[in-house]
Amino acid sequence: MTQKTVRRLPIYIALILLALVSVVPFVWMLATSFKNGPDVYTQVPQLLPLDKKTGEWSPTLENYEYVFTISGLGTAFWNSVWITCFLVPVKLLIDALAAYSFARIPFPGRDKIFVLMLAGMMVPTITLLVPRLHVTQVLGVYDSPWGIILPNVASVLDIFLMRQFFRTLPVELEEAARIDGAGRMQIFWRVILPLSKPVLAVVTITSFIFHWNDLVWPLIVLNDPELYTLPLALQQLASTESGRAYYIMAGAALAVIPVMVVLLIFQRRIMQGIAFSGLKS
Amino acid sequence: MASPVVAQRPAETPARPGRRRRPGIGRRDHLIGWLLIAPAMVYFIIFLLYPALAALYYSFTEWDLHSAPIWVGLQNYIDLFFDDVKYPHFWKSVQVTLQYTLVAVPLTLVTALAQALLINSIRRGSNLFRLLLFLPVVTAEAAVGAIWRWLYDPQYGVINAVIGLVGIPRQNWLNTPELVIPALAFIAAWQCGISMIIYLAGLKSIPESIKEAAVIDGASPVQRFFKVIVPMLRPTTFYLVVTGIIAALQVFGLVYVIFSGGGNRSVTGGPEQSGLAYVLHIYLYAFRYNAMGAACAMSFILLVFIMIITFIQFKFMKQEAS
Repeated sequence: MTQKTVRRLPIYIALILLALVSVVPFVWMLATSFKNGPDVYTQVPQLLPLDKKTGEWSPTLENYEYVFTISGLGTAFWNSVWITCFLVPVKLLIDALAAYSFARIPFPGRDKIFVLMLAGMMVPTITLLVPRLHVTQVLGVYDSPWGIILPNVASVLDIFLMRQFFRTLPVELEEAARIDGAGRMQIFWRVILPLSKPVLAVVTITSFIFHWNDLVWPLIVLNDPELYTLPLALQQLASTESGRAYYIMAGAALAVIPVMVVLLIFQRRIMQGIAFSGLKS
Repeated sequence: MASPVVAQRPAETPARPGRRRRPGIGRRDHLIGWLLIAPAMVYFIIFLLYPALAALYYSFTEWDLHSAPIWVGLQNYIDLFFDDVKYPHFWKSVQVTLQYTLVAVPLTLVTALAQALLINSIRRGSNLFRLLLFLPVVTAEAAVGAIWRWLYDPQYGVINAVIGLVGIPRQNWLNTPELVIPALAFIAAWQCGISMIIYLAGLKSIPESIKEAAVIDGASPVQRFFKVIVPMLRPTTFYLVVTGIIAALQVFGLVYVIFSGGGNRSVTGGPEQSGLAYVLHIYLYAFRYNAMGAACAMSFILLVFIMIITFIQFKFMKQEAS
């Protein structure tokens, strides 16, 4: 062993301990979710799904089956899938169009509107909830998927991030396209968007994670259990089945795993995006 | 908007050759500009601007969402502050939230800085550790609440098993008033990944030359940390403290899930209201007791508080910049 490796050993040990604290809750969630009911409650916590009496290896998928069918997490899972997959692209388009206009089209009053929008970001979500609920009732979308989609269909923060990025693109490219006879929309589709993949990726991924995880707004706007999104159904499950950890952990795994997969695939973009938006604001 | 004065002007004035060369610029372009922001504008007006103004108006009324609001002036605010029969837990929720902020924000930042420093000092495996430490951030708060309730379980929880190894007796974490805030703050620190990533970016931006100069001058690692790294990270720390405070003041989803056991109705904010976060208190008044006016008043108090913090941040940033 070189001296450098020896000196770094304590650093690695500290990191491994921290990583364990970070990961063990998820491992424990998965471990519990694969156990038979009685095997969950042991005096000494048992990681592997072993039978309490015989000590034999006995994992099960019954908990997943139960929450997916009987507790309605299956319905909720598909509700979350379609709402997220519909909402994110629509939101991305609305935000990108506005961001391009704010970045490049100098119409009168533009900057005042932009500043007003930014000021709106300061308002805490809780302040908006009651009037938003009223608005959804007036629009007739209360207790429907549209009640989730409409109040989330644009994001000032995303507009801001995209505008900042669009402004860094060289104006000369647009002017060249214009001389070739391209209109604004053609420039937007053919020049701006293809060059903006990094920021589009960041905004898409963070939006996906945010809306997939969102609990508070669905909690307020949804009433019918058939319409529940996954976080809301999970919250209900945790509340009604509070004595059955194996069901709750199976439900939590359903909510957690898709996002983990997204994180694994796009980790670099997500980290860059956070560093970017964090340092900019 | 194009004013009539502009419209009467001859379309092609020789004094403005630039306009002729770039046909995209002009009134038609302004129209496109408006059209492109139109969907976002409609959203902004209906779901941000109007709700914010309406919340302010409702805060001066008594309203149950169904009948017409009744104007009561400042009564909601006065009652919240002074009438502890009508709103017995208002000040308790303020206290809980401030305590939580005071514990959670420093704990989160110290953890994040420690993680960032450790990751920054290794090469091999740094991406893996960064990923593992980031996992808790992307987890839905419904899942976070459910998982931690199980970890903190007084009888079968892993936390009690782990502290049992070093001889600390079992605790009933979420049912002991004194332990609720530390337990919640620990979850916040567990989710410190975003601060960790921002600290890492801050560490990467410290010029190598400064660190080398400190080494050459014979500074010990401890001296280098306190005399070089900490001062260089000051803007980052400041940003994280401010955003951390603003987020901690609004903690809600997690406490909602943690303290909602045995049916929806029993959401109360933990033993002796020890986990009654301010926003949870607002939520209960708005969506359990249908006291929309009072809820809006409470949320406006929070808004003013957050605006003051943001204003102080701007002041400091300007000072720092000049």
